[in-house]
Amino acid sequence: MTLWMPKTAAGKRWLGLAPSYIVIGIFMLIPMVIMGVFSFLEPNPYGGVMPEGSVAAYVKLFFEYDLEDNLVFNPGYINIIYRSFQLSIGATLLCLAFGFPVAYYITLQPEHKRNFYIFLITIPFWTNLLIRTFAWIIILGRGGVIEMPLLAAGIIEDSLRMMYTDGAIAIGLTYSYLPLMVLPIYASLEKLDFRLLEAATDLYANRLEVMTRVVIPLCKPGIIAGCILVFIPCLGAFIAPNLLGGGKKLMLGSLVQFQFASARNWPFGAALSMLLLAVVVVVLIFYARAAKKQAAIAGEG
Amino acid sequence: MTTAIDIRDVTKIYNPNSNQPVKALDSVSLTIDDNEFFTLLGPSGCGKTTLLRLIAGFEQVSGGEIMLFDDEIENLEPNRRPVNTVFQHYALFPHMTVAENVAFGLERLKKPKAEVQTTVERVLTLVKMKHLGDRHPNQLSGGQQQRVALARALAPSPKVLLLDEPLSALDLKLRQAMREELKQLQKETGITFVFVTHDQEEALAMSDRIAVMSDGEVQQIGGPTDIYEHPVNRFVADFIGDTNFLDGEIVDIKDDLVTCRIGSNSMYEAENSGGHTVGDHVTLFLRPEKITLSDASDANQPDNRPGKVANIVYLGNQAAYTVDMGDGVELVAQARPREDGKLPFAIDEPLAVGFSARALRVLVQ
Repeated sequence: MTLWMPKTAAGKRWLGLAPSYIVIGIFMLIPMVIMGVFSFLEPNPYGGVMPEGSVAAYVKLFFEYDLEDNLVFNPGYINIIYRSFQLSIGATLLCLAFGFPVAYYITLQPEHKRNFYIFLITIPFWTNLLIRTFAWIIILGRGGVIEMPLLAAGIIEDSLRMMYTDGAIAIGLTYSYLPLMVLPIYASLEKLDFRLLEAATDLYANRLEVMTRVVIPLCKPGIIAGCILVFIPCLGAFIAPNLLGGGKKLMLGSLVQFQFASARNWPFGAALSMLLLAVVVVVLIFYARAAKKQAAIAGEG
Repeated sequence: MTTAIDIRDVTKIYNPNSNQPVKALDSVSLTIDDNEFFTLLGPSGCGKTTLLRLIAGFEQVSGGEIMLFDDEIENLEPNRRPVNTVFQHYALFPHMTVAENVAFGLERLKKPKAEVQTTVERVLTLVKMKHLGDRHPNQLSGGQQQRVALARALAPSPKVLLLDEPLSALDLKLRQAMREELKQLQKETGITFVFVTHDQEEALAMSDRIAVMSDGEVQQIGGPTDIYEHPVNRFVADFIGDTNFLDGEIVDIKDDLVTCRIGSNSMYEAENSGGHTVGDHVTLFLRPEKITLSDASDANQPDNRPGKVANIVYLGNQAAYTVDMGDGVELVAQARPREDGKLPFAIDEPLAVGFSARALRVLVQ
């Protein structure tokens, strides 16, 4: 008995790649299709879905029924989405503001030190995000690490009420995803030819101009990649909003989690996820375009 | 004549506080005149690039002063020094077009837009690159990138242009063509050029004056013929061109000639450069092109000695002959192939070696 083998080269290539197609299919494609299908079904009050088609979940994103059963515009969820974007953009900008100098500093170190610093950057990933976010409750909370010395010194008399605010969520998100900003920026800075910096100073550029005219344009791909790597998980985050925002200040991610875990409205959760997915795809298309443009300049040896 | 750059007692020590400090420059002093093509020549590690980087401001002096047209500049940031550099590997900005690269310095100097544009066009025309202003550097050949780097450094009209081995990455033909162009460019612009190279041929071909450096010190400063014909020491004589060295002892001094014993008992007369006494151990040097090889029958003519061919290296337009002069003395000489392409002498063939005492010079050991 002989094993079946494809005859053509293309067929053989396909067979070789088959494991990866299977993995992507099982772990990515099928769950996504299930989510897509669920978003068009009726919710089962006990969890799960009922096999009846409906667009109610999508309608619910924008409208609600008033007492007379009329559809009226409901900005509630739009507001949550809007807030999610605001917070995610804020956290992304904070990550960029902190992450770029860190990446730049590491690049300037001697080579053997660089690897050690990169290793330090990745250490937080060893511990569960939930636990690390809890630590921020201790830092920001009433009588916490920040407030206690200020209270004791008499600089403030009452709690600063830092917890359960948008600021607390932004801090939590920034903390969670900062390494995802540092690593890609470092990767592109490391490839930077530092002789170009000398050339720029030789041509009368001051420090700021060296940064804005040479360094930042040349590591733009790293900056864009870092921003996307931070922005997308921020949109879907629910640990920081739930713990540091107290669950009152919902974000898109916590809303999705709430629909599946508590509200038992799976189709609505699935519809929200589809919306999130659409946003991510749009952002990634933007990135692909930018990367292509950059490659056109840097490529063709 | 105005002095463009005055280097006074400049010392540069790398890692001064570590346990392995490296002395790259040891109290170097030299002056470069305005409108001069000045070359810093030496083997790698001699400190020539360090000196250039100190003038540009990329490194800080450990001691001494650098004056640029009577202004002390050694403590200024590079972006405040009116000098520009052509880098060894060009260092063109890959994200900018050729024209944007050339405009970079002018824009930093806040020149008006119209002036920037006319200057960019003028310098790009000067280096014959005007038609490629819209390209990116990676779409250019090495020679074209070289021209853009030149244009970029010339555009802000620096008081001094620093060139760090700019031709070393080009292939031979292009390098030779660029030599002439660089020299021409220097004349046209009237800008002082400070050119760093390890290629002695390049230095001789282009420079008004050359400073030969080794081990962080200036060995000799002079015009190309000075350096080639009258090197002050063995290092300079050896580094510039091919040379025969004969080690010996002075046995007699007449007015303008010294007689030296070379080997066990061969006597050679050389030009008296002054300041020698009988018994001095000296090195004589003799350039191969000053030696005439002829048939053995001429060996008794004045200024001729008998010899025997020990080795031949064929170089196309000429051949380098190693001639055994007896008594352990060997001389390298040149001869042209005959019209039919055959070499004039064969290995082991006896011949006459002719050179005048004027061609032999004395170096103090």
